[in-house]
Amino acid sequence: MTISSDFKELFRTKSGCIYQCDKDLCFYVEFAGHLTPYKFACFLALKKLIDKIDLASMICNSENCCDMEIVNPCGSDRIYVLSLPQIIEFKELLAGGKAMLQLNSILKERLHVAMA
Amino acid sequence: MKDILRLKTSLAEEIEQELNAQVKQEATASAMYLAMASWCNSHGFVNSAEFFYQQSAEEREHMMKIFKYVNEVGGRAVSPDISNLIHDFDSLKSVFEQALEQEINNTQSINRIVDRCYKVKDYTTIKFLQWFLEEQMEEEKWARRALELLELIGSDGMGLYMVDKKILDLREKE
Repeated sequence: MTISSDFKELFRTKSGCIYQCDKDLCFYVEFAGHLTPYKFACFLALKKLIDKIDLASMICNSENCCDMEIVNPCGSDRIYVLSLPQIIEFKELLAGGKAMLQLNSILKERLHVAMA
Repeated sequence: MKDILRLKTSLAEEIEQELNAQVKQEATASAMYLAMASWCNSHGFVNSAEFFYQQSAEEREHMMKIFKYVNEVGGRAVSPDISNLIHDFDSLKSVFEQALEQEINNTQSINRIVDRCYKVKDYTTIKFLQWFLEEQMEEEKWARRALELLELIGSDGMGLYMVDKKILDLREKE
């Protein structure tokens, strides 16, 4: 999957990027070397899934299995196998994307009021 | 850039969470009323049992109303997980005390959501919750009246029998 000219950059960090596609009303998440499409509800579900990962217990647990987290988001074929630093980066990316969505919503509302 | 967030949902995330928490509270109340009905039945208070069966069904209706609303406005309703229910009570009085406490908690919880809605200017949800606030007034009134009956008639001799007889009448007359 490649980045289309329909994609608009929503939020970028050094580890990834989130694009919005107005044509399909969905989001494309570029992370860990893959570009994955998510519908609105699935994008929010992915954020919740990543936010739920308990970093503190991962750090405190010395077993090898606790160094990685396998995430299988809904509405997607992608399976992420994430290390602890990747989880932190993914959380940051998704939080930023969500914040930009909310900001866009606020700006749209304010502009509408100003133009009315 | 299109505002996908607003196109897909009119519900702020925090309000969605609050409403889902309320769904759980209503479901818990429904399950608790069933437990109360069961206790009443096993102790011979058949009218009180019927009262709590009806209360349980009503709480489930409340739950479904909120559940459907969340989905209708573009949010995602979560089917609640209920556990740790109490099935044993000391007396009929303690059952009704618990019922009143539950209703007060429900009212306070809805008040808190309305308050949050005002903060995020979600007037649609405020209008939706208005019905629940009126309903809560009734719910609290019934529970209070039941406790009043227990005080007035007392629990000696025929007292409990009389109270149980009056409980269902109380609801039917309202």
